[in-house]
Amino acid sequence: MKINLDQPAEHPFWFREYFLMPMPIGKKAVNLRELLQALRELDESVLYYHIFQSRMAISQSAEEYPNEFARWAAKDLQDAKLAEKLSSFDPFDYENLTQLRQSVVDILEEYLWDIQYIPWARYGFEFHFCEASTVVMNSHICAHTLPEFCEGLRNVGLGALFYHFFEARWRLGVRNVDDFSYWIEANFGLPELVAAIRGIDIYFYSLSEIRDTLLGLMHQYLGELCDRTQ
Amino acid sequence: MIGLNDYAPIVGQEVIDQLQRLAARLGPRRFVHINSTRTGGGVAEILERAVPLLQQLGMDVKWEVIQGDQEFFEITKAMHNALQGYKVRLSPGMLDHYREINRENARKFTWESDFVLVHDPQPAYLINFLRPQAKHWIWRCHIDASRPERRVWKFLQEIVSQYEASVFSMSQFAQNLPHPQYLIRPSIDPLSEKNRDLSTAEVQEVLDRLGIERDKPIILQVSRFDSFKDPVGVIQAFRMVRRHTPCKLVLAGGEAIDDPEGPRIFAEVMEAAQGEPDIQILLLPPDAHHDVNALQRASDIIVQKSTREGFGLTVTEAMWKGKPVIGGAVGGIVLQLRDYNTGFLVHSPEGCAFRIRYLLHRPEMARRMGKMAREFVLHHFLITRKIRDYLTLMILRENPTERVMEL
Repeated sequence: MKINLDQPAEHPFWFREYFLMPMPIGKKAVNLRELLQALRELDESVLYYHIFQSRMAISQSAEEYPNEFARWAAKDLQDAKLAEKLSSFDPFDYENLTQLRQSVVDILEEYLWDIQYIPWARYGFEFHFCEASTVVMNSHICAHTLPEFCEGLRNVGLGALFYHFFEARWRLGVRNVDDFSYWIEANFGLPELVAAIRGIDIYFYSLSEIRDTLLGLMHQYLGELCDRTQ
Repeated sequence: MIGLNDYAPIVGQEVIDQLQRLAARLGPRRFVHINSTRTGGGVAEILERAVPLLQQLGMDVKWEVIQGDQEFFEITKAMHNALQGYKVRLSPGMLDHYREINRENARKFTWESDFVLVHDPQPAYLINFLRPQAKHWIWRCHIDASRPERRVWKFLQEIVSQYEASVFSMSQFAQNLPHPQYLIRPSIDPLSEKNRDLSTAEVQEVLDRLGIERDKPIILQVSRFDSFKDPVGVIQAFRMVRRHTPCKLVLAGGEAIDDPEGPRIFAEVMEAAQGEPDIQILLLPPDAHHDVNALQRASDIIVQKSTREGFGLTVTEAMWKGKPVIGGAVGGIVLQLRDYNTGFLVHSPEGCAFRIRYLLHRPEMARRMGKMAREFVLHHFLITRKIRDYLTLMILRENPTERVMEL
């Protein structure tokens, strides 16, 4: 299919900026049993922070663990088997945080059921619970066409990528649908590109890797014209 | 004067635009910072740079410094040590003196403000006298308060609980408090005299003036002469390294007027270094930023072997200069140094010695580590990010019931 890259979208895409302020709640877990108990009781915002938002707080690009529970299990409890289990579940399999919480609780309950001693963290390496507040606002970057969209993608901050690509999955409530693919589908069709974007396994990418992957897909499906600067 | 746009070549124009838009959405606000020293120590350094940048963003910012006598600063230093876990007892008379000095200072402050950020315990009690003068009172703790001494913390907890929010540098420092707590990572200013690029000639001029020869690899620790920075442990580590590999150690530190322990620790360090010609101890004035910059740039390995650390800005500074850093595995150092990646974490003088030797024998590894360290600081610990955090905090506190603020 021939794509007219200068075709304007019916609705332009406004990139939004996203600022995250982590909020420690002053509670900690020293061992796996305390982590389990806390996960049963604490607000869903705490779960959301440690599974999703924490990747906004400090770059984890060099780490192999996709959420903070798995990383704590590996690095501080020194329990590689538990870390593997906590790394392997897909948080996007669940429709809401209640279901997600139950799945993490199930993993920990099952693990604790079979072991003979409770893994403990050393002094100073406890798990400290956080949640976050966020500010979202329009950036000055707005795309009317696909080349403008690519240009915007290159220039927006990592917070915008988190908002449109991670946070959107919970906000839109449709599995694997993010703001970017939603806008492209609604304004230009392009089912193959849309499917490729929705096929990215985002759980294992840092935000800057997500940016590079998206730009790579745009280039692959739309050609060099999408690389030009308007 | 350095302008916001001067940061664009380092952090990118989009970051500067972002700050301007965020400030515009917030609108002009009156913002008062209060701490206990104008020079010396990380807090004063941060404020010196952050205040003008916030002003350029349209905020009406004041920086107030409380005054106190020797006894007051001995009491607040004891409080500081207690927050960092030392067993310290404060008598009722000492606590009365602490309150009285705060009361005297409060009389001098006649401003009215939208936000007040009170740094550390020294001026915390001011809220008791000045509360009607500002809409939002926030306490900023720069100290590693992960294991505070119980009685001293109970005393401070009662004071801090009167604030509407508090800010810590690490989640493990947060406490059981009846108000929201936030995390703001400290930061460095890449354009300050302490961090700006220096020419080879500028570095050499400082070394010549301070009498440091570059005949052997230089190991450096820059920090106040404070027992929590463990300068004596660094000397022990150096002596272990020297048995195997030639190198020299420079310990460079200043004194802050709110730290009465400095001279005693300095004397202990001098004694530990006695008889070792390859150890140079420099007592620098608090404004020797240019000299510290040159020393960091001239060094081969930088050490920050703290046993407690609020954050460790000297680590951030060294990383920004592309140097391999070996740090104590405490406080914010843990967040900055990732073993074999952005630096090394150690737990003892022996561990410190081992890593110094490792890096002296692997210069390629040291270079790679330094490069990754600089990149890490660029993304997380520069002053532009901190300014953004301040603006975000103000927006969030003006809308305390909102968890997601859409502007």
